[in-house]
Amino acid sequence: MTQINLNELAQLQDINKKLVAGYHICEQDMTLWQELDQHLDAYSALFTALGHQLNKDSRGFYYFNSNESTPNMGKISRAIALTIYILIEHFANTGKDPMRAIFDEVNDLELMQTIVQLNKHLFDQLEIFSGSDLRKDVYLRMVRLGLAREVATGFMLQAPIYRYIDALMEVNEETYMAEDA
Amino acid sequence: MIPAKKLLNTLTEHWGVLALLFKQFNMADFSLKELQNAIKQKQPTWNNERIYKETNRLLNQDIIIPLAKSSQLEINRAIAEFASFLLQEEHLGLAQEISVLVQDLARLGDRLNNAGEMQDYDDLRRFSRIMDDRVRKIIKLFKHNENAILNIVEQAKSDHAIQSLQKRYQSVIEAFDEYIEPMLEMVDIRGDFHHCFITIEAQISQQIADIEQSGKAYNDKRMLEQLRTRILEMHLMGRESLRKSADMLMPLREELRRNNQITRQAAKVLGMIRKNGVDSILSPVQPHFISDAQRYSIGQQRHIVAYMASLVEFEHSEYKLPEQQDVPAYVSPNIPDYTNVKTRFKARLAKQGKKQQPLLQFLDESYPDLEADEMLFLYQKLISDNELPMSQSDNKSQIKIADTRVSLYPFSSQSN
Repeated sequence: MTQINLNELAQLQDINKKLVAGYHICEQDMTLWQELDQHLDAYSALFTALGHQLNKDSRGFYYFNSNESTPNMGKISRAIALTIYILIEHFANTGKDPMRAIFDEVNDLELMQTIVQLNKHLFDQLEIFSGSDLRKDVYLRMVRLGLAREVATGFMLQAPIYRYIDALMEVNEETYMAEDA
Repeated sequence: MIPAKKLLNTLTEHWGVLALLFKQFNMADFSLKELQNAIKQKQPTWNNERIYKETNRLLNQDIIIPLAKSSQLEINRAIAEFASFLLQEEHLGLAQEISVLVQDLARLGDRLNNAGEMQDYDDLRRFSRIMDDRVRKIIKLFKHNENAILNIVEQAKSDHAIQSLQKRYQSVIEAFDEYIEPMLEMVDIRGDFHHCFITIEAQISQQIADIEQSGKAYNDKRMLEQLRTRILEMHLMGRESLRKSADMLMPLREELRRNNQITRQAAKVLGMIRKNGVDSILSPVQPHFISDAQRYSIGQQRHIVAYMASLVEFEHSEYKLPEQQDVPAYVSPNIPDYTNVKTRFKARLAKQGKKQQPLLQFLDESYPDLEADEMLFLYQKLISDNELPMSQSDNKSQIKIADTRVSLYPFSSQSN
């Protein structure tokens, strides 16, 4: 039995507010991250009792697990996934190391415009027609979910992106065929 | 012959220049001008004459030597090797270098054995010394290669993301293919090295035993023992060094493999999406997010449609009408039926003949139970009835009906 001293969980309100909104707390969110790290057991037990499953990913982020999305969140998630996969391909095509570039490069409006132009038929499926659409519909939402942070010249992607890379490796003919059947 | 001390002094004095040349040209040749520029860069206060003098000094002492049939210069190989050792700027050697030395060691072991059997103790000593030298060389190579791999790893890690994957990891892959894998094969328990060392060790042990038995050349025993220990140590050290090198390189190779895999997979998935649409490919795998805020709110048109759709199945709770006895009975105003009043009035007119009948007086007398307002209601009904001949008095008068005083120009039945 875990003893939870609520007085010790100073950031509980903030943490809860962020996590229930789908936010990923990663190392860049210094205070919240440290707080979670220090009292992981207490928070974990508390959230479990409230019906949430607090996940800690060893690549540096916390989030609430969920087995399904609302229709709207599902659509957003797919848009984010597509953007990330296109970025990986784009970096690889331009001769960069994709896994480094995806975390090291600043995603500015110019990059967004370029990838939307190069992958028009893919983004059309998501009703994204320009770089600023991409910024508004994908990047700003990534910031709200803690997948990216805004910097002076654009956006930097953060560790929770790994969830999408894991998902990428899961796609294969079988999952698709199963869905099709 | 240049005295070593003088050479060392010059080296100390110009170490900066040599290190710079070493880094800049990396064992390649350079011109006299470039050498002078390097000196100037390190010693900006020196004038041209001084620089010229120092250049000559480096050349005269064979630290820098001219290439054959060329005006280009290079650093003396011996100095360059020394410098590379000091600067740890080592380049990975080939596995063959080590294996050649080990083969040589095996050959020397045979000859040492022969010399021992012939009881030629001079030869025994000589071969022992050469073997010792080879062992040292092999140890040096192991250390050298370990450092070189450390450099490769550092470079691969610190390279800028701009560089292509292939370029970044080229040296890692080469190091693996050219050095680590063949070496691991050789050092393996069933590999050449192990076999070779067991033989050599047996030979040396045999010689030591012989010396102990015969009691001759007892001084050489210690030397042989040392050699045996050194060979064993070299074997251990080699294994250790290789393990360390492999450990350093392995994550990078893994990273490269994974990166390639991710890139390939991304291309494949994007291809599938192009053909089959985003939703069908990504829906089964996409990460899900908790979003309580959205779950309980209607944001977009689509949500409203979904909400309306759910309304189709809406069942309202049955509305229950109140029971009859629950409602208080309706109490109508206590006014008699107008037609009755009218006939009664007509009857009164007929009875009274031609005499004028004040209307209010009639009502007051006929219906003493009525309230004043009820009486006035009937009064106005009667006066507006065209069937009854009525006339209005010109004088205002006060009439008391049902305990209420009203002042009006009273109507009466018309006298004709």
